[in-house]
Amino acid sequence: MRPLLLILAALAVVVALAWRHWTHRVVRERHRIEDALKHLFDQEYRGRHASLTSLKGTLHLPDGPVLALVARMQALDLVRARGQEFDLTPEGERLALQVVRAHRLLERYFADEARLPLSQVHAAAERHEHSLSAEAANRLAADLGHPTVDPHGDPIPSREGDVPPAVGVPATSWTPETTGRIVHLEDEPPISFAQIVAEGLRVGQTVRVIERTPTRVVLTDGENEYRFAPAVAANVFLAPAPAHTAAAGVVRLPDLPDHVLAEITGLDDRCQGFSRRRMMDLGFTDGARIEPILRTFAGDPRAYRIRGTVVAVRRDQAEHVIVRPLDTATRGLA
Amino acid sequence: MTTGSTSATTPEAVIRRAASLRDTLSRGFRDEAVRSLYAEASRIADRATVRDGARLDIDQRIDALVTSPILGLPIMALLLAIVFWLTVAGANVPSAMLAEGLFWIEGLGVRMFEAIGLPWWITGFVWNGVYRGLAWVVSVMLPPMAIFFPMFTILEDLGYLPRVAFNLDFLFRRAGAHGKQALSMAMGFGCNAAGVIATRVIDSPRERLVAILTNNFVPCNGRYPTLIMLATIFVGAAFPPAFASFAAAGAVMAVVLIGVGVTLVVSWALSRTILKGEASAFTLELPPYRRPGILRIIYTSLIDRTLFVLWRAMLTAAPAGAVIWILANVHVGGASIAQHTADALGPLGHAIGLDGAVLLAYIIAIPANEIVVPTLMMIYLGTGMMTDVTSFEDLRRVLVDENGWTMLTAVNLMLFSLLHNPCATTILTIYKETLSARWATIGALMPLGLAFIVTFLVATIWRLVA
Repeated sequence: MRPLLLILAALAVVVALAWRHWTHRVVRERHRIEDALKHLFDQEYRGRHASLTSLKGTLHLPDGPVLALVARMQALDLVRARGQEFDLTPEGERLALQVVRAHRLLERYFADEARLPLSQVHAAAERHEHSLSAEAANRLAADLGHPTVDPHGDPIPSREGDVPPAVGVPATSWTPETTGRIVHLEDEPPISFAQIVAEGLRVGQTVRVIERTPTRVVLTDGENEYRFAPAVAANVFLAPAPAHTAAAGVVRLPDLPDHVLAEITGLDDRCQGFSRRRMMDLGFTDGARIEPILRTFAGDPRAYRIRGTVVAVRRDQAEHVIVRPLDTATRGLA
Repeated sequence: MTTGSTSATTPEAVIRRAASLRDTLSRGFRDEAVRSLYAEASRIADRATVRDGARLDIDQRIDALVTSPILGLPIMALLLAIVFWLTVAGANVPSAMLAEGLFWIEGLGVRMFEAIGLPWWITGFVWNGVYRGLAWVVSVMLPPMAIFFPMFTILEDLGYLPRVAFNLDFLFRRAGAHGKQALSMAMGFGCNAAGVIATRVIDSPRERLVAILTNNFVPCNGRYPTLIMLATIFVGAAFPPAFASFAAAGAVMAVVLIGVGVTLVVSWALSRTILKGEASAFTLELPPYRRPGILRIIYTSLIDRTLFVLWRAMLTAAPAGAVIWILANVHVGGASIAQHTADALGPLGHAIGLDGAVLLAYIIAIPANEIVVPTLMMIYLGTGMMTDVTSFEDLRRVLVDENGWTMLTAVNLMLFSLLHNPCATTILTIYKETLSARWATIGALMPLGLAFIVTFLVATIWRLVA
């Protein structure tokens, strides 16, 4: 009796382990396929073609497993091989778009609502993208207000699978001395993205290229200078700047002297999600009159009179408010 | 697409049309909607309201004073010191009266139980155990809370607290925490459980957790008795009698400031490890000053805060009283369980500069920190119930002469009292506020671990140097 029980128990353990191993393998294979599809989509979007080598680099896998994975994807009719290169089938593209959409929506969520540092947003989205169903992605999109770009400036595919074409010119080919808005920061390879973020560049920022040599590219936002190797600067994409930030006579709120009345002309595009809603709730809207009235011992935060109330705001939030100081003649009207 | 009314009638068609129109919206249409709402609101407000320039002027002058770069922080420290001093000084007499009254009832109950011939252990368990635990918590806790909370509520009602948050924000910003954490921290001086509830004003989940997990690092009313006792016996006694009370008060204030420092350091560490993230939007309204409403203050401070907190403390103190009585009255091999446990904890206690009895008192006092000193006296004196030693001279004799306390013991006990795990009420409140056993556990174990590490380091260095 006893040996029989023991054998049964051992058998149960083996079955349970095998089941776990098998389900784990199935899940892992699905994740790898999705990662591979994402890579293929990204290459096609940039007008390049994926190869075995590029797949190996992205998935961090040796030759054997990559070949097996590609064979499996061909069997599932997700991928077509054309010589050395691979293309997505319509079904493959549909799946790829789903994963890309989930990834970019999650990035938006982690950056705006969870306020994760920008350098960690990509990794966090990588961890969660495989478990976000298409329907959950739609709900997330609605909650976030149907965003169109992720925090790096990459377009988010719509639920119907439409992707706007890539915009922007790399900083390495941008005309020097003309103002441009950062529309996209390429997040691959992570090392150069980390450098860009650490230097303080953000999507939505207005900058100017002031120096372009074969060894370095220098950008400025008017206050700080950002120096990059051309290989890194090529990951910063610029587009013509919209009118209001380039307008004359405006300053950022922290630069407004105490007790000087000003009119808000807009909120910076870098301020999104939770922070933006909070500022709007408090009445930081175009045309509102604002006056800095209190400053603490550390100089930050400052308190401002706006719409009849006094609101304290930290410098990094106030940075996003663009104001036009009103001259003394118009002060009486306030 | 034309606006043909016949084509888009099915729900799918409407959704598709909405989706296609969404792309044609300008990027800032949300901003536009908010702007027009505000424009309409201010149009109505301008038509209907008259602005009182004088009122505005007074507010602005008060603000310029209490948030002034030079005087703002000293004014704040002064107000804090006044609130502490009033709480400590004002609570002594009512506490003693309450204790006398409640212990008189205990004597009455004991005599009544003895008169009807109940065995000694029933009398002891009910009156010297459960009842005494309750009476102790009520008499130690109620008077300071009934003084502290109304004063706190007056400051809150006046509108001063947002100015405190404004003044202190530069510290919390550097710690990666929310400026409003200053408010929940101030509340923690009254009661950490109330402080944890007060973190509801923080709207970002990450920063709220930081505030919840660090609230324990400011000492609450329940811990002042321990701090004041130690400050009086060890710090006050080192000064001439005329300055003794100021020296003692200074020592308590120093411990409080260390607590604020630890709050900031731990917040900083949390924001860089398990609660990683950037400071969220800190926008704080500084409302106009108001005359406090007396009825509202009495209601909020006494009903909502004092009685609420006291009730929770009583719920945990009654069982604690029972446990203490059992530990002290069940004898195994010639000594009580309490004595055995204290001996077993001795080596650990010694390593952190304390002794086994102190650790045992803290284990028993997890439900409510108020009973640490009485429990300690019970263990030291070998009596079968929580015991009070009335004069500081007697206390000094018991601690220093009979049980070998030194300055190191006093310093480490102050540190341990400041840093150790929150009371059961606070842990329960953390659980209720976060609905997560994990955060409640971290909220309990992280301070405990920190207390052990800090006291161990202090003891080791002290012994090496001395």
